[in-house]
Amino acid sequence: MISFRSSTRLYFVLAAKGYARNIQYRGSHLLHNFASATFGYLYACIWIGLGRDYSLGEYGTLGMMQYITFTQMSLWVSSFMTNGLGIPQSVRTGQIALDLMRPVHLFAQLMAREWGQIAYQFFYKSVPIYLVMLLALGMLPAHGGRTLPLALLALAGAAYLSICINYLIGVSSLWTTESSWLYWGNQALMNLLAGFFIPIQWLPLWLQQIAWASPYPFMLYVPTQLYLGKANPVLLLGTLAWGLALTGLCLLATRVVRRRVEVQGG
Amino acid sequence: MSEETKRNANGEAGLSIWEKEENVGANRGTGGCGGSFASSSPNPSGGNRRSRSEAVRRYIALYLLLIRTSIRSRMQYRFNFVLGTLLAAVIQLSEFLMVAIVLAKFGAVQGWSVHEVGYLFAVMTFSKTLYRTFADEVHHLENYLVEGSLDQLLTRPLPVLLTLLPRGFKIMFGEVIQGSAIMVWALGEMLRSGRVTWTAIPQTLLAIVIGGVLLFAIGLATATCGFWTTRISMLQNMTEDAAQTAARYPMTLYPNWLSGLLFTAIPVGLVNYVPALYILRGELGPWVFGLTASAAACALLLSLWFWRFGLSRYQSAGS
Repeated sequence: MISFRSSTRLYFVLAAKGYARNIQYRGSHLLHNFASATFGYLYACIWIGLGRDYSLGEYGTLGMMQYITFTQMSLWVSSFMTNGLGIPQSVRTGQIALDLMRPVHLFAQLMAREWGQIAYQFFYKSVPIYLVMLLALGMLPAHGGRTLPLALLALAGAAYLSICINYLIGVSSLWTTESSWLYWGNQALMNLLAGFFIPIQWLPLWLQQIAWASPYPFMLYVPTQLYLGKANPVLLLGTLAWGLALTGLCLLATRVVRRRVEVQGG
Repeated sequence: MSEETKRNANGEAGLSIWEKEENVGANRGTGGCGGSFASSSPNPSGGNRRSRSEAVRRYIALYLLLIRTSIRSRMQYRFNFVLGTLLAAVIQLSEFLMVAIVLAKFGAVQGWSVHEVGYLFAVMTFSKTLYRTFADEVHHLENYLVEGSLDQLLTRPLPVLLTLLPRGFKIMFGEVIQGSAIMVWALGEMLRSGRVTWTAIPQTLLAIVIGGVLLFAIGLATATCGFWTTRISMLQNMTEDAAQTAARYPMTLYPNWLSGLLFTAIPVGLVNYVPALYILRGELGPWVFGLTASAAACALLLSLWFWRFGLSRYQSAGS
């Protein structure tokens, strides 16, 4: 293994490369934001339509518009990641054998690269989508933006949880060729249990219990509640606890992976 | 058999599909059909008709062969096939749960009950499944354009679209399971309560088929834009994904400009909402089927014309 100082520099370079790789396509991605904002606008329209007939509880119509705006921009940080951190592709090409031979931990190197990707997506996707949706819906940031720092801290924690989950999905590709379904399954759970479209307190009780027993609420709902000023910052401890638990699982999975590798290509 | 062996076996099975197709294509060539359905026949009137129907018959035989081989190759990985199907059904069900939870919370959406919205959702799911089962590769045309593999299809002795269609044939069991479950639940309840009669079943089937054609036309027109832009995923996000998501709810939820767009430029509202107005609520009249069928036919003809025009402007982008 290489020294701590060298490995820190290496991880920073990997993250920087992950960022730089995307920046080549920033023009195309900025256009793509239009499609994403369209989705957000559509969801907001549904709540505006519902708000004409119902009071929408503790949020009100404006609160739900703010809610959808923040969850839509957060998706690019805590949900839309590289499928399985690129492991399924490495298994197909045989690259995984080389990645496992490198003198750095597989989880750490893939995570570093993904942080670069997340940083890029935050600046070139989340921020523009947030601004476009605020403009389209005629709103200002919730609480004049004062809640943003805490919400962004929660979002950074959410990104880490998502990296861990995607790593576990990626590792599964060593045993099944259908790991992409796990990726999409994870996306579906994000939609349902993370409070992407519906606040968790509006879910049926049994689904709320399932949601709170999983890391998903900490990936969208908690950052959004902090943004709306409706949550206690102590909830960040939940993010921390899930981060530790998932890190342990990722390290364990890597040990299993290193014992026997079967690649598809080469 | 190990997974590795299965993969190799599948690779060979995949190759054999195209070897067979090449053979059929070659036979067609020697049989006189050449590069198009209209062959050069000694008898210009009846002979042309006969050879054209012969070409169509051969194409259908080829299509069925490709479908059989596609299913067989997918079944090489039984565990993966079952896992993929189950997860697809769960994913689809979770999407409906989001809609159902909103309805459970508020009781109704713009006067539409949970069963009625479930019906909208199920019709859209079936129409989309129909489109994607037979024309999945149209949705994935971007891969062909980016990699330049469309060039190979241009050399085959069949129209490009007809070569493309059977390639990605797949029966989407997950979507069928989910759509059936929601349809049986929604329509079953409305039949039990006497809200609709049994005539709703054939009418729904008709709406699904017409909807499938409409979605295919929208998908084809979107894919055709790729002949100029190469990348089409962003456009597909708007014309297919976002539009289909919007049509899961009653159109009255949206501002006029948006619902107008969803009835005309991207007519997903005609797939489920307009037929549902008549089938479930007795509004409008039976003429809605004539209207939606005419709209589907017009959309299909327009998109086919656009496709031919786009194909004539195609420039290879791959290496």
